[in-house]
Amino acid sequence: MRRNISFRIIYLRIMTAVILSTFCASFAWAGPDARTLLKESEQRHRTKTQQYAGELTVVNKNGKVRKKGWKSFREGYAGDAKNLIRFIDPPEVKGVGFLSLAKPGGQNPDQWLYLPSMKRERRIATQDRDSSFVGTDFSYEDMEEFDHVKHKVELHGEQLVDNFPCYVIEAFPFEKNGKSVYEKKIIYLRKDNLYLLREDLYRKGEKEPGKRMILSDLQQIGGHWVAQKMEMKDLKKGSTTTVLLKEIIFDKPQPVSRFTLQNLNREGGD
Amino acid sequence: MKKRLEFELLFLFLLLLLLPLSVMAGEISGYAEAKGFAYAERWPGRDNRGLGWGTLFTKWEEMLGETQFTASLRGEGITSGEQQGALDFDPADRRLRRSPVSVRDLWLRIPLNSTHDLQLGRFQLGWGKTDGYSPADAFLPRDLTDPFADEKLPLWALRLNGYSGALRYEAVAVPVTTPWRLPPLGSRNAPVHTRSFPAGTDFNEVASTPPDIGFAAVRLQSTFGDWELGGWGRAGVHPAPILNFRVGLATPTATGFSIPVERRYAREEAVGVELSRILGPWIVRGESAALFSRDRDLGNALIGAVCVEKCFGNGTFLVTVAGNAISPPVDTAQLYDRALLPAVIASWNRTEEWGEWKLVWSAGLKHGDGMLKAEAGYNLTDLWKVTLGGELPYGSEEGPFGAITASRRVHVALRRSW
Repeated sequence: MRRNISFRIIYLRIMTAVILSTFCASFAWAGPDARTLLKESEQRHRTKTQQYAGELTVVNKNGKVRKKGWKSFREGYAGDAKNLIRFIDPPEVKGVGFLSLAKPGGQNPDQWLYLPSMKRERRIATQDRDSSFVGTDFSYEDMEEFDHVKHKVELHGEQLVDNFPCYVIEAFPFEKNGKSVYEKKIIYLRKDNLYLLREDLYRKGEKEPGKRMILSDLQQIGGHWVAQKMEMKDLKKGSTTTVLLKEIIFDKPQPVSRFTLQNLNREGGD
Repeated sequence: MKKRLEFELLFLFLLLLLLPLSVMAGEISGYAEAKGFAYAERWPGRDNRGLGWGTLFTKWEEMLGETQFTASLRGEGITSGEQQGALDFDPADRRLRRSPVSVRDLWLRIPLNSTHDLQLGRFQLGWGKTDGYSPADAFLPRDLTDPFADEKLPLWALRLNGYSGALRYEAVAVPVTTPWRLPPLGSRNAPVHTRSFPAGTDFNEVASTPPDIGFAAVRLQSTFGDWELGGWGRAGVHPAPILNFRVGLATPTATGFSIPVERRYAREEAVGVELSRILGPWIVRGESAALFSRDRDLGNALIGAVCVEKCFGNGTFLVTVAGNAISPPVDTAQLYDRALLPAVIASWNRTEEWGEWKLVWSAGLKHGDGMLKAEAGYNLTDLWKVTLGGELPYGSEEGPFGAITASRRVHVALRRSW
C-alpha cells in the first residue's frame, strides 16, 4: 500500500513537471504576439503632434529625377490622426494642400485635396486611395500611418532588416468599415525599439509586393525615435520616392484651426 | 472721373504698402511662357492663321506675423493688336480689352481669431461643387479674349469667412463690378452672323462704364459623413454684359455699315444649394440655383447641374450635365454664363510620369454644337514644361461653340517656372 502511494506521488510529480515544462516551453516558443507588439510600438512612438519639412525626390524607372517639397503637420497618431500637407515646391504644385481626418471605428479617413488653380477643395473618394499622391509613389492610402486596429495581424518570426533584427508581422485589412487598396501588408518592426523599418504592400490578387516602404536614418529627437528618411518603392513601375524629413518637431501645440477645411482653403497658408 | 481718381488712389495706396515690405524675405514665384497658335483658317480681313502670345507672371507671398500678403502681376504681349488693349491703368479689368500689364492678386488675409479670417484686396473666388459647369461659379467674370482658356477674372472684394464645428460660412462684398471681357465683336472668336446684318457690316463697341457697385454673397457649407451640403445667396450686378446693337445709329462705311454696340448690366438675385456625396467609387455632386432678374433680356433662370466623378488609377473621369428649366427671353448665346445650357461636359484627365494629359468634350444639347479639346503637358524638368493641345469647335453656328468653328486651332507652349 505504502509502495503504491509513493508511486502515485512520483507519478504526480513527474506529470506536474511535464505539464509545467510543456507550458513554459510553449510560452517561450510563441514569444510575444503580434497585437501586443504593435500596441507596444504605438504606445512607444505615439506623439501628440509632429511637424516636418519634407524634401522629396521622385526617380522614375528611366532615372529621371523630379524634386518636390512639402510641409507636414500631424496631430494624434494612426487611428486618431489629423494630417495636413502643403506642397511648397516645385512651382507647378506649390500651394496644393492635403487634409486627412481620421474617423472612429476603423473607418477610412476623410480626405480632401486643395488645388490653388480651382480655389477650392476636392474630396477624395475612398476608392480613389490607390491614385498617386501628387505625382509621388505614395498613394492616398499610403499617406495614412499604419493602424493595427484596422488589421488582423499575425507574427511570422524574425528577420534582419538593414542589419537590425526585426519582428515580421503579416497584417490583413479587416475592410468591414472601409476598403483598403491592399490585401496584405508585411510589417518589419525593429526588435529593440519596436520602430517600423519596412512595410511590404500587396495589392489585391497579387502574390508579390507591389510596393515597399523603407524607413531609415533613425534618430532620437525630443525623446522620440524618428526615421529621417522614408522611401516608397513602386516595385511594378520601378520608381522610387524618397522623403528626407527636416526640421522635425514633436509635441508642439498646433493651432486649433490647422486641421480644418477652412485652413486647407487658405491660399498661401500652412 | 472722381471715381477713377478714387480707384487710382486706392491702387497706389496698396502698391505703396508693398514698398516697405520689399526688404522682407517673401516667396517669389512665377513663370514666363511663350505660346503659339495655328488656326485652321484665316478670318477674312481680321485674323491671321498664326497667333503668338507671351506671358510673364510673378507672384510675391509674404507672412506678416499672422497676416498673409500676396501680390501678383502679369505682363503679356499678343501679336494680334485687336485682342490686346493699350497699356492702360485698369486695376479692376473694366476696359473692353485686356491691358498688357495687370494686377492679378493684391490682397491681405487677416486672422480675426482662431476661426475667422478677413481677406481684402484683389483676389479670385472659386465657388460651387460641380466641375465643368457650376451655377454658383459660372456667373463670376471670365476673360473670353481667348474663348477656350476659361480664364476667371479676379475681383476687388472683402471676404469674411469662418467656421463653427462642421459649419463653414463665408460672406463676400464686391464693391466694384468687374465685367466679363468679350472677344472683339466680329472677330473669329466672336463672329456675328451675317444673316442678321448686311455683308461688310462692322461693329463699333462703345466703351460703356460698367456699374460701380458689384455684388454681395453669403455661402454656408457643412460636412456630414459622406455628405457635403451647402447653400448660398447673392444679390447685385450680373457681370456678364447684355449687348445692345444700336442699328438705328448705324453709319455707312466704305464696305457697308458700322453699328454701335452698347453694353448694359442687369441686376440679379440668386439662391442656390449644393451637395456632394461619396457613393462607393463615385463622387456625385449636384447644384441647383434659382436666379431672379426683372431685366427684360436676362429674365429668371432655374439652373441645375449634376456631376459624377470616378478615378481610374491616376486618371479621373468626370461627366457633368447642366440645364436651365426656364427658357431665356433672348438667344442664350447672348447670355454668356448660361450660353451653353443645356449641356453635357465629359472630361478624362490623367497624370503620367512625364506630365499629364486631358480630353474634354463639351456638347450643347440645344443646337447640337460642341467642342473637343485635347491637351498634353510634358515636364522637361521640374521648371520647364511643354504643352501641346488643340480645340475643335463644331456644329450649328446657332450654338456658342458652333459659332466659332473658325477658331479651330492647335497650340504649343513652352513655360519656365520659378
